[in-house]
Amino acid sequence: VSYLIEVNGSRRQVAGSGLTPLSAVLRDELGLLGTKVACGEGRCGSCTVLVDGAPVASCLYPLALADGRSVTTIEGVGDGDELTPLQRALVEGGGVQCGLCTPGMVMSLTALLAVDRRPGEQDVREALGGNVCRCTGYQKIVEAALAADGADRA
Amino acid sequence: VAVLTPGPAVHAARSLEEAVVLLSDPAGDVAALAGGTWIMRAPLRDERRHALYVSLRGVPELRACELGGGVAVLGALLTHAELAALDGAPAALRSLVEAAGRSAFPAVRTVATLGGNVCSPFPEADLVPALLAAGAELNVAGPDGGRTVDLAGFLEGTRRGPGDVVVAARVPVPAGRRSAFERLTVRGSGEYAIASVAVSADLDDDGAIVAARVAYGGVETTARRSSAAEAALRGGVPTAEAGYAAGRAAAADLTAREGLDAPGWYRLEVLPALTRTAVARLADPDGRGEA
Repeated sequence: VSYLIEVNGSRRQVAGSGLTPLSAVLRDELGLLGTKVACGEGRCGSCTVLVDGAPVASCLYPLALADGRSVTTIEGVGDGDELTPLQRALVEGGGVQCGLCTPGMVMSLTALLAVDRRPGEQDVREALGGNVCRCTGYQKIVEAALAADGADRA
Repeated sequence: VAVLTPGPAVHAARSLEEAVVLLSDPAGDVAALAGGTWIMRAPLRDERRHALYVSLRGVPELRACELGGGVAVLGALLTHAELAALDGAPAALRSLVEAAGRSAFPAVRTVATLGGNVCSPFPEADLVPALLAAGAELNVAGPDGGRTVDLAGFLEGTRRGPGDVVVAARVPVPAGRRSAFERLTVRGSGEYAIASVAVSADLDDDGAIVAARVAYGGVETTARRSSAAEAALRGGVPTAEAGYAAGRAAAADLTAREGLDAPGWYRLEVLPALTRTAVARLADPDGRGEA
């Protein structure tokens, strides 16, 4: 059985078990290594990607459910080498340390900013409830998300 | 074309009838697939996976969302995120809406479904106590046609058979019914609850509790109602003290499971405080209570 997925704007055909985790499809078959797999059980958020704009844990998301849908990974955020205001705020505000959680953080926050251009701190913390960071203690990530909102509006 | 390693096959059912036929095949090594967040972790639980999964994603009957008319019909494919976003839901549904919005994490809530919670009722499944307390029934399609099933009986397995597909939950929403949900987790957000409680009560014009349904998740292997907690609330008013007493009655009524997250005695120890918070919020028509 083969499945057709739109990944970062390109149509990709993938054949295999419909229960293959989307994260494995992205990393192992399509070479999109920006999506990280840490816990592999949906509780750390490092594998977060967008499916039709909604954040999903790609390690728990079966390939079969992605059929006919649009997937956005960290590689599809921004325009080529151009970072989004959120990404710039994370870099400039010290919201990136080892970087393992960063792609998932960016995807969760990108989904939030797409529906709420002016989120409050509580909204940001709620959106990041499933994204674990073991370096920064979250504060600088939350501040970057709030600053990105300002940069976006400027 | 990228070719992946082999594994279970997934067939996308095009109709409810097709799903029932495939799932009721006596020779079939087959199960239903909704959001997949439970099934995808089967290898982590050392569970054998089936050879075939029937994806219900394309079955339109499973997407109903009707709030009017005294009985809410909530389709099995509604996700936790969709349930949490039911603005303007009647107070009788507030417990379910809260359970959905506080369950797991945002990137799981967008995928995990009501039907999955009911059909794979792991101890901490948040929607299950909320549905039990709400007095929900299930619309089930099976080889012999459609029927309405008592939720507790479905969870026990006595009212569930091969080929059954949960179509929707039917939740009564009478006027005067209020509800609330509380859960205790190790971290502030997400995670499985050490214990959770859903309270649904019918108040008379004087604010007294005419009937109450109280269900606990996380404590036993499957969520269930506590008749002792319900009896403790009946006839009183929804105060913090009444809630505490009901929680103490529940702790004497339930048999807690041991776990890595918490020992059994701890699950019981927190029930009075959890129930106190939930019951106290019933006094507030908006159900928010004090933060």
